[in-house]
Amino acid sequence: MTHLELEHLASDYLEGQLDTARRAEVEAHLAGCGDCQALIADTRHALHLCRSAKEIEPSPWLVTKILQATLGERKPSLGQRLAAFFRPAIQTRVAYGVAMAVFSLSLILNAAGLDLRHLRAQDLDPRTWVYQANRNGHLLLGRVEKYYYDLKLVYEIESQLQQLRAEPSEQAPRPQTPSGGTTEGAPMGDSPLASSWSPTTISTAFELLGRLSGWSRPTRGTTR
Amino acid sequence: MEQDPQLVKRCLAGEDSAWEELLKAHNRRVYNLCFRFTSRTGDAEDLTQEIFIKVFQSLQTYDVTQGTFITWLSRVARNHLVDHYRRTRQERLTSSIEDEPTGLEDKPSAGEHPLAQVESRERRDMLQAALERLSPDMREAVILRDFQDLDYDEIAHVLGVPQGTVKSRINRGRLELARVLKRIEGMKGS
Repeated sequence: MTHLELEHLASDYLEGQLDTARRAEVEAHLAGCGDCQALIADTRHALHLCRSAKEIEPSPWLVTKILQATLGERKPSLGQRLAAFFRPAIQTRVAYGVAMAVFSLSLILNAAGLDLRHLRAQDLDPRTWVYQANRNGHLLLGRVEKYYYDLKLVYEIESQLQQLRAEPSEQAPRPQTPSGGTTEGAPMGDSPLASSWSPTTISTAFELLGRLSGWSRPTRGTTR
Repeated sequence: MEQDPQLVKRCLAGEDSAWEELLKAHNRRVYNLCFRFTSRTGDAEDLTQEIFIKVFQSLQTYDVTQGTFITWLSRVARNHLVDHYRRTRQERLTSSIEDEPTGLEDKPSAGEHPLAQVESRERRDMLQAALERLSPDMREAVILRDFQDLDYDEIAHVLGVPQGTVKSRINRGRLELARVLKRIEGMKGS
């Protein structure tokens, strides 16, 4: 094999593309030729440098530049345009306002007794709204009053008070207020309201409250 | 990741997102090819942009049966680079290439020793200087084979020459590159 023949085969030899016989011929030549050994070593080194060279990063805006040059300034899609239109309405304060408006409207509709599913012509008359609102207001008030008087606690207090009011006429004469007391100048007995607040009444009221709340009035000599 | 022929089909159907995807997948390859030819980052960017505009305009001429999209893209890029080379021949004769910087700024790699970074940059500059000294025929063959990793058949398609010619150009290009590199290394050593 000549030097020129080896030069022609250098790349194939380095890439391992020679058949066994040809490879043996090349290696036999290389074993006895220092120049060709150096040539192969240099070429191998060059090949290694090329293949291990790092890729160079283009600037980050290259793709954007090319997109602008090819597609132009991109028009927003229908979805993007809709999103941009509704973006201000999606803010919290707007949502809160809308929620409050819906809530108020539902309150008014409810008070006016309007059923949107079964709307009639007369429901559109403001006089009907006023009448309905007035009627519903009174109904509500009546219901609240009834609920209040139906409460057990209220019932018991009421009945006890009635009993207490009836008591003074049946009881013995009231004891006199001790002289030198601070209430001397303004006796309680003069007031019609105070007439029912005798010590017996107060004691009874305490007992009543104690029964209702599970608390008993402290008496003398008892310790906590 | 979607295959190139599907992306091309979607591009032709007018889907902008497919074009963007195609561009993102291949812009680095084209940019590197341009840089290896021109040795200047600014020129490489301009050429990459011009090439992709050309690709965008002629996408309907890509035929799947004629080869891969990369081969077709490389052919378009190579033809554009040859045109550019011919166009700017006079400019290059009047200006010294060595005087102009490549425009590359090294980003420090994480964990890489500063000394290793300097060596890496020197190696890269030396390799690029050696590539510039090759004839255009040998240079493009070596770049397509050893930098772009195309096989002989693909390179033959890109260059439009027989495979034997490709092999011969690559072999001569490598031997020449080795000689130039040795000379540059010798000059640096002395």
